Amino acid sequence: MKPPIDNSTPTPRKGIRRLWHSFRQLFAQTPLLGWLFGFLLASILENLIGYPLARVLGLSKIPVLFGVDIALKTPLLLPATLLYDLIIYIIPLFLTVRYLTPFANRLAAWLLRAPMWVSALIHMALLFLVLYLWTGINDYRVLVAKLMMVSIIITLSLNVVNGYMGEFSCSHPGFIALGAYIASIITVGFFVGGNLKFVILPAYLAPLVFPLALILGGVVAALGALLVAIPSFRTRGDYLAIISLAFMFIVKSMFENLEILGGARGFGDQPNLATLPVVFIWTMLCIWIINNFVQSTMGKALNAVRDNELAADAMTVDTRKTKMVTFLFAAFWAGIAGGLLAHVIRYVNPGTFGLQKLAEVLAMVYFGGLNSVIGSIVGAIGYNLLSEMLRPLELIKWLIIPLLLILVMIFRPTGLIAFREFDLHKILQPKIPAKMEEVENVPPSS
Amino acid sequence: MERKSKYLVISILMICAILLGACGPAAPQTIKIGVNAPITGDIPKVGEGTKFAAEMWAEDINAAGGLEIGGKKYQVELIIEDNESKAESAVAANTKMITQDEVLIIIGPQASKQAVPAGQVANDNKTPMISPWSTNPNTTLNRPWVFRACFLDDFQGPAVANFVTEEFGFTKAAVLYDIASDYPKGLAEFFKKAWEGLHGAGSVVAYESFTTKDTDFSAQLTKIRDSGAEFLFTPQYYNEVALIAQQAHQLGFTGPIVGSDSWGSAELIPLCGEDCYGAFFTTHYAAAGATGATKAFIDAYNAKHGYIPDDVAALTWDAFNLAKKAMEDCGKITGDIAADRACVKDALSKVTGFEGITGTMTFTPGSGDPSKCAVIVKISDKGEFTFYKQSCP
Repeated sequence: MKPPIDNSTPTPRKGIRRLWHSFRQLFAQTPLLGWLFGFLLASILENLIGYPLARVLGLSKIPVLFGVDIALKTPLLLPATLLYDLIIYIIPLFLTVRYLTPFANRLAAWLLRAPMWVSALIHMALLFLVLYLWTGINDYRVLVAKLMMVSIIITLSLNVVNGYMGEFSCSHPGFIALGAYIASIITVGFFVGGNLKFVILPAYLAPLVFPLALILGGVVAALGALLVAIPSFRTRGDYLAIISLAFMFIVKSMFENLEILGGARGFGDQPNLATLPVVFIWTMLCIWIINNFVQSTMGKALNAVRDNELAADAMTVDTRKTKMVTFLFAAFWAGIAGGLLAHVIRYVNPGTFGLQKLAEVLAMVYFGGLNSVIGSIVGAIGYNLLSEMLRPLELIKWLIIPLLLILVMIFRPTGLIAFREFDLHKILQPKIPAKMEEVENVPPSS
Repeated sequence: MERKSKYLVISILMICAILLGACGPAAPQTIKIGVNAPITGDIPKVGEGTKFAAEMWAEDINAAGGLEIGGKKYQVELIIEDNESKAESAVAANTKMITQDEVLIIIGPQASKQAVPAGQVANDNKTPMISPWSTNPNTTLNRPWVFRACFLDDFQGPAVANFVTEEFGFTKAAVLYDIASDYPKGLAEFFKKAWEGLHGAGSVVAYESFTTKDTDFSAQLTKIRDSGAEFLFTPQYYNEVALIAQQAHQLGFTGPIVGSDSWGSAELIPLCGEDCYGAFFTTHYAAAGATGATKAFIDAYNAKHGYIPDDVAALTWDAFNLAKKAMEDCGKITGDIAADRACVKDALSKVTGFEGITGTMTFTPGSGDPSKCAVIVKISDKGEFTFYKQSCP
C-alpha cells in the first residue's frame, strides 16, 4: 500500500491560483457565525460611513445593489463603485474572517452545547439584523429583499414536487394566484372596504388576522391542488404536466371573469401588512418545515416514488397517499407565498399568473438545483438579484439570463447545488473539528 | 522589495482615486425625470414609443440650454427603467427611481396593470407621477400624487354618443362587443348608458356580444341589420374591426360604423381595406392632416425613427410637457427633493388650459384626471386617419 498523500505539503502554485487557494483555506475554517459577523460589520459600516464615502467617491448615493446597476449605466463610475464595494464589503468581511474566525468557532461550539434550536434562533436573529441594517439604507433594497424571500418560498415549494417527487407540475402560478386573491379578499374585505366589504375591523387587528388570511389562502390553494391531483395521479408520466397546465389557465380565466374582484383590471389597495419581519418569519418557517418534511419518512418515501414507483410500492410505500400529500403540501406553501406577494406589491391581477410566471418559477428551481433546499434558496436569490441588477441592460438582459440557464444545464444538468441535504447541525457547527475538543474541555466560564 | 513597491503603487492609486472623486468638478444642476416603460415584455412597441418620445423631448430641452425655472437653466436627465410589462417590476422600478435616483417626477407606466400598483408606490412616497396611457380609474383614484394625460373610458362612451347624435341625428343604435375582454365591455356599457340617456330606454335596439377570438359574426350582424339600427358602434381591436366591417357589408348593413381608440393602429387599413373607408372612431389625436405643434412632433419623430408615432408616443410627449409646465409654474427648484416634489404636484393639479398635441387639458384640484377633448377621426377614401372634429366634455 502506498502511504496516503500528505495534504499539508504545499504544492507549488502561482499568482491567482495561490491566492485563490489561500482564500479557500481561510474561508474553509469560517463557520456561518463568522460570516454573519462579517456581514454585520459591513452593514454597520455602511450605515455609518456609507453616504460620505459615496460622496467622496463621486457617487451621488450609496450604490444600491453593490453598484452593478450604476456601473452598467455609466461605466465611467465602475472604479468608484468597485472601490466602494472594496471598502464597505470586502475589506470588513476579509478582516472579520481573518481575525474573528477562532472566536466565531469557539462561540459556535459553545452555542451547540445548548439545544440546536437555541443556536438556530441566534443565527436567524443575526441574519435578520444584517438584513434589517442592509435594507435600512434604502426602500428599494427592502422591496428587493421581500420579493427575494417570497421567491424562496415559491421555489422551495415547487422543488418539493419537481425535485423531490420527480413529477413536472405546471400549476404553481395558479396556486400562487389562489393564495394571493384569497388573502387579499380577507385583508381588503375586513380592513379597507371598497368594492368588497364585510365588516370593517379596527386596524390594530390587521397584523393578527394577516397570518390567518395567508393560511386560508394556502388551504384554498391546497384544495385547488386536490382538484388537479385526483384525476392526474390516476395516470402516470406527462399527464400531470398537462393537467396542471390546464389548471393554471382555468384559475387565470376564473379571476379574469370575476367582476367583483376587478376582473382583468386587477384588485388593489391591500393594506401594507407584508413588512420585512413578517416576510422574514414566514420564509424561515417555510424553510424549516419543508426541510423537515423532505427529511422525514415521507420525504424518503417521496424519493423512492421518484426513482422507481413500482419498487416503492413493493416496499410497502403508499405511493398514492405520498404523492397526494406532497402535492397538497407544496400547493399550500405556494398559496402562502401568493398571499405575501399580493401584500408586497399591494396589487394583484390575473395577467401576472400566466406562462411568464411559470417560466420564471421553473427557471429558479432548475437554476438552483433539484432535490435540494439550499439549491432552491440559491436559485431564488440568484435569479432575483441577477434580474434586478441587470435591468439597465433592457433587452440584453433577456439574452444573458437564458444563456446562463443554458450553461448551467450543460455543465450541471440538475442545477447548481442539487441533491444536497440541508443539515442544520453541519451548517451551524464550528469548522475546525480538531480544536473543537479543546473547546469542549474548557470548563464553562460562569 | 518587489512586493512592497506593488503595495505602494496600489495605495497611491487608491488615494488618487479618492482625491479625484473629491476634487472633481461639481456636478451641474440637473433635474432628474424618471421614465417607467415596458421596454421588454408583452408590449415592447409601446415601450419603444415611450422611450423615443422621452429621448426626443430631453434632447430638445437640453439643446435649448435646459429647462428655465425661475430664471435659472437646468439640464434634464432621464432615468429610464424597464418594467418588463410586469406589475412587480413596475413597483421595483418606481421604488428605485424614487429612493435611489431621487427623481423629481415619474412619467409612466403606460398599461394599467403596471400603472395601478406603481401609482400606489408614487403616492406613498409622495412623488408626482403622470401615466400617459392608463385608462383604469383606479390608477388615480384617491391618489393626489398620481395624474394621467389621457381621457377615461367613461368619457369616451358619451363622447361617441354625443357625436353621432349631433352629426347624423340618429336615434337607434346597435352595439357589438367582446364580453370576455375588459376594455370593450366597459366601453360598450358606458356608451349604452349615455345613448339611452340621450334617446330614452330602448334606443339601443341591438346589444350583441361575442367572445374573444370569434371570427364569425353573421348571427349577431343579421340581428343588428334586422333591428332597424341606424349605425353600429363596435369598440373592438383592429383585427376584429376588419372582420366585423367586412361581414356587416356582406350582410347588407349600410349605416355608418363607429369605433373607439382601440381602432387607432396602422394595421387597421391593410386588414380592413375599403370596408373601413368612411368609418369614424374616437381617439387621442389624428396624425394625418395635423397642424402646428402636433405636426412638428410627428415630422420630427418620423424623420428620426422612420414611422408615424402612435397615440402612446404623442401622449408621452404631452405628459412630459405637462411636467415641464408644472415645474415652470413651481417657480424655483430648492434642491430639497421632498419640497420640490410637493411643489410640482401642487402646480400640476392647478394646470388649466394646457395646449398639448393631443388636445387641451385642464386638471381640477382633487383629481388626477384631465378634462380634455376626444378627437373624432374619419377614415378617408384613401385609408388615412383624418381629423374630423373634436368632442369636448
